[in-house]
Amino acid sequence: MPARSNLVRRVPAILAAATLLLASCTGAEPNELLVLEWAGYEEPDFWTDFATANPDTNVEFEFGSNDAEILSLMQAGSQSDIFHFYTGWQQFYVDEELVREIDVSKLTNWDAVPEEMKALGQIDGKQYYIPWDWGFTSILYNTEQVDDVTSWDVLFNEDYAGHISMWDDGPGAVTVSAYINGWDETAITEEQLTQIEQDWKDQKPLNLHYWDSEYDNLCPEVISGDIWVAYAWQGCYATALAEGVPVAYADPVEGRNSWVGLYGISAETDSYELALKFLDLKLAELTCSNAVTIFYYGCANSEVMAGITDEILIEAFSIDNPDILETTRFTPLVTAEQRDAWTAMWTRVKAE
Amino acid sequence: MLGRRGALRFLALPPYVWLAVFFLAPLLLIVAISFRPETGPIDFDDPWTFTIAQYQRILETPAYLRRLGMSVVVALVVATAATVLAYPIAYFLAFRARERAVFFLVLLLIPFAVSYLLRVMAWRLMLGGEGAINSLLEWLGVISAPLDLLIYSPVAVVVTLIYVWIPFAALPVYAALQRIERGHLEAAADLGAGPWTRFARVTVPLSLPGAVAAFFMVFIPTVGEYVTPSLVGGTEGYMYGNIIQDFFSQAASWATGAALAVIMLLLTLALVAVALRLIDVRRLAS
Repeated sequence: MPARSNLVRRVPAILAAATLLLASCTGAEPNELLVLEWAGYEEPDFWTDFATANPDTNVEFEFGSNDAEILSLMQAGSQSDIFHFYTGWQQFYVDEELVREIDVSKLTNWDAVPEEMKALGQIDGKQYYIPWDWGFTSILYNTEQVDDVTSWDVLFNEDYAGHISMWDDGPGAVTVSAYINGWDETAITEEQLTQIEQDWKDQKPLNLHYWDSEYDNLCPEVISGDIWVAYAWQGCYATALAEGVPVAYADPVEGRNSWVGLYGISAETDSYELALKFLDLKLAELTCSNAVTIFYYGCANSEVMAGITDEILIEAFSIDNPDILETTRFTPLVTAEQRDAWTAMWTRVKAE
Repeated sequence: MLGRRGALRFLALPPYVWLAVFFLAPLLLIVAISFRPETGPIDFDDPWTFTIAQYQRILETPAYLRRLGMSVVVALVVATAATVLAYPIAYFLAFRARERAVFFLVLLLIPFAVSYLLRVMAWRLMLGGEGAINSLLEWLGVISAPLDLLIYSPVAVVVTLIYVWIPFAALPVYAALQRIERGHLEAAADLGAGPWTRFARVTVPLSLPGAVAAFFMVFIPTVGEYVTPSLVGGTEGYMYGNIIQDFFSQAASWATGAALAVIMLLLTLALVAVALRLIDVRRLAS
């Protein structure tokens, strides 16, 4: 019976079409999420609460290796529902209408986030981003090879030539120079930038290398003893401490730097509610604890941070130092012009 | 009905379409982006105004041009060394391995089963301060402290790239050696030529087209190499390809990155054209 067999063959297609029609009529969102992340953050420990609460949701990841690449991917039309970047880059996504405002009333863990961190995710009074991971940037040094470090200028100390490692990042280099010279990093002039460029060109031979991946080419060499002085985040400090390496994390007179990771929801997403759930559960207790205890990152859930008892973590986050935040400088917003000029400057330094 | 010629053209169509879509079009896009203002990634809604600002800025930055020169020198050294070192391997496969040639050929290709990144990372373990080479030299008492030269230096880049390219370079040389008529060698022997004379006067000249092909197969991609320098090059092993990568990924400055890439492409094509003019491959082959 040809007519009947044709009908039978068409059943799956008819069912699929009916499902789609039903979904569009009810406004149902797809049960899947694509997250634009940094490599390593796709580890299940980093989103365990969401996975437990939504076992049928398909979560996939695509990756960017730095803030510029993540912005480029979003500008180029990434299909990601959620993206992850760091302080300094908030304004660009809003200016280019790449991000959707967060409905914080639907976040059950929002109250655990400190007001200062909430503020970092706001542009023009609207909450566009959710803060999640955070940490310090300072000087990590080997106490057997290096005297007490009190200033960022140790990165320029010729006594440690061949054992220094600077982060491979133009804005990071400008920040360090601004701290050392006492300049406002949000208002660097052309003359100051010229001097910064020359200073880093002179500093270049002192480096073993510029590191670009904390756990790939910074920590292993701090632990092996090849690197004595490094621009570093606290994760590497805690890792080296746990390995029994004689290291310290400086409190420079110019102040430590602090960075915060932020999540935004794409303006183009079809899964807004699911994305909100994902971000809400990123702030949940177990997921945040994993970030702290397994990966040595700070987490925006203040209750989790307050519950830390591990000595290494207390040391890494300076939890026993009540004055630490008074001498910590949060990464400010940069303009597109500053970002491009600083990165081009750093490229010239590396090419020198 | 298609004639024989029509059928051939029809069969050739898919590769031409493939090349046009996935090679020529992206290349033209890169050239086009290099002449437009710096606005980040491509947005076809943006006006395509013409500018040579990126080219001016690059040509006014001596450091970029020095890195281009350094990259060409590194590529020359790597291509020459890889071709020379690949030659004995190819010779062994073509003339000595006999019925085991396939087995040894498979052995030669085994490294390709491992990712390029892993092979380069393995060299970090070899060349590092506590790596295999330094440890061996210290154990033998040759050195008292690890050699800094081995890792994070242009030397490390050259050594690693030579290793990576040797199997590639061996293949065209092997193909050229296999094509040599054994009768030519027998005739040379009958005329009194010893093994070295036969090698120098018959084998080498007849295999030169393969060696030249191997050289360019290594030279051209090495000029733009950026993965190996970023893993083992340190601050001094930074190559021109790394500058291009930085402008695309760290700076989101696609127009400058594209202009840098076009300059490199033109220089590489010019060098290859000059080299091919100096080395008459067709005459060598005949």
